[in-house]
Amino acid sequence: MTERRIIDHPVLGKLDEQKKVSFQFDGRTYEGYEGDTIASALLAHGIRTLRKHEETGRPRGIYCNIGHCFECRVTVDDISNIRACLTPIHNGMVVETGQQLDTPLSPDQTEPIPRTYEEYEEWKEKKEQSK
Amino acid sequence: MKDVVIIGAGPAGLAAATVCRQHDLDVTVIDEFSKSGGRLLGQLHEEPTGEWWNGIKEATEMTEEAKALHTDIRLGLSVHHIEKRADSYAVHTNKGTIPAKTVLIATGAAESAAPIPGWTLPGVMSIGAAQVMTNVHRVKVGEKGIVVGVNVLSAAIARELQLAGVDLHSMALPAMNVVSGDEAHPKKVMEKLVRIAHLAPSAFIKFGSKFAKAAFVRHIALQFFPKSGVKMWDMPIHLRKAIKEINGSDKVESVTMVDVKPNGEIVPGSEEIIEVDFVCIAGGLYPLGELAAPLGCPFVYQEELGGHVPIHNEKMETPLEGVYVAGNITGIESAKVAREQGKVAGYSILSYIKQDQASQAELAAAMESVRETRDQATIQFHPHIQTGRQQVHESFEKLTK
Amino acid sequence: MQDLVICRCEEVSLKELEETAEKFNCSARELKLRTRAGMGFCGGRTCRPAVDKVVHDITGEAPSNDLPLKVQPPVRPISLHDLGGSES
Repeated sequence: MTERRIIDHPVLGKLDEQKKVSFQFDGRTYEGYEGDTIASALLAHGIRTLRKHEETGRPRGIYCNIGHCFECRVTVDDISNIRACLTPIHNGMVVETGQQLDTPLSPDQTEPIPRTYEEYEEWKEKKEQSK
Repeated sequence: MKDVVIIGAGPAGLAAATVCRQHDLDVTVIDEFSKSGGRLLGQLHEEPTGEWWNGIKEATEMTEEAKALHTDIRLGLSVHHIEKRADSYAVHTNKGTIPAKTVLIATGAAESAAPIPGWTLPGVMSIGAAQVMTNVHRVKVGEKGIVVGVNVLSAAIARELQLAGVDLHSMALPAMNVVSGDEAHPKKVMEKLVRIAHLAPSAFIKFGSKFAKAAFVRHIALQFFPKSGVKMWDMPIHLRKAIKEINGSDKVESVTMVDVKPNGEIVPGSEEIIEVDFVCIAGGLYPLGELAAPLGCPFVYQEELGGHVPIHNEKMETPLEGVYVAGNITGIESAKVAREQGKVAGYSILSYIKQDQASQAELAAAMESVRETRDQATIQFHPHIQTGRQQVHESFEKLTK
Repeated sequence: MQDLVICRCEEVSLKELEETAEKFNCSARELKLRTRAGMGFCGGRTCRPAVDKVVHDITGEAPSNDLPLKVQPPVRPISLHDLGGSES
């Protein structure tokens, strides 16, 4: 973790000894420092992808890093749409990335559009089987 | 009910809070981030005097000053709406509503994007994002990167990245497209850079800028701008090369660099692949006035100030009674100006709450301080900022006649 | 060359914006309504200046004093729970 940290800085000085914090990201445990945001702790481990675009599934990471763009939104301790760039990590935090979602109402598909939740469940199963 | 709720714990918000608390007003400051200081936190640059402007230090000092006065600062809280009620303002946050007699909207600025194909890949970030990662979180944004967009802010941050030991290939323009605007135009970029050339450490640039002021000299300079760029602190700055595209499947792997003519036109067949693992995009800043809009505050578009600003006067009052603005939301300037504006807002709010003229002298002094700080600025984000400011104040006068 | 995405939240490309703007000769507001540009999670914060530029370039419409895309509350995404709903 330390190669990606700026330990010594000619003006800002040496990074003080920091308390280590352990958290989970998509099932794996990582260590960060107290004061890290989820985004900075993950970037220190070289992890850039924080989410998949809901419609296209393309990978997304931080863009603005100051809470404006919401590209870094993750699910934290079961609460969704938390901005990774603003949220400090704490011990035992469970972070999950958002995945691509189904588009059952998309006009481009060949399957008939489900009209009820029941039909959607069938539609979804059919999709899983055809994979 | 609070006397004032201040949205934004940046230099403007903290300065206003301190003034209000010094006169015992009941103040609450709100900020989305878990640390106070706003964009001050990431700032780090050398002044012409040789001294370092250390944003973290400044932010800490301002925060301690506010805390010493027992200022209520609530961090990690988001404001999603401000509502006018019969005789108060309701500040709606994600953790409840705070009623206040007055509100000060000091939400600063947001970054304008300069979109180029592939900019949604992980590893591409705004230049401000790189500043925060580097100076606030002390995390390296990557092994080797490139800065797209050459302006005052991106040059300062490129320098900050270098200081932190982050490797940069170069700075280059974004390739011209419908949305790129002036930042893709070599001539326009050069015009803006010439104004800050007096800060450049390179003797060549300092010397050259004296002559570059004349338009025809700038034109010639652009024609003969070195293909390898002009080096500033050992890093090439390109005005005749642009980034056309960012490549990679799941994250940034490389960028496609092209040669451009002085008018920004791409030279066909000049593509070159540069391997990088991060890209910083710098499109400039614009005032973030969104919270003033639901209140019905009128706006005025001023290019010199960075975009749409809520109409206000020199006392930081908006046409809405009890609603004030300060800092970059009023126009893009430095943190020092934001701080002085915060003091002005503080005294304006004080006069309004106390309904007396006791602070008129301090208010006048604070307004003068804003003007002085502006005049002494070594870097101006826009050359005609005075004009912009004047026009906004005139809009206020027209509306409140 | 890849498509140039303008609105990151809704993945609206420049091509889509240009084609729509030309077909309907519309204002920034109408462009948003037709393509969803500026109507995503970030509330237009990232793409508002870019969408404005596209419209200006195509229609010659100069930036007006009003905010090009009307800002409606909530200016931050908020859950019904936090708005005051019952336990979810």
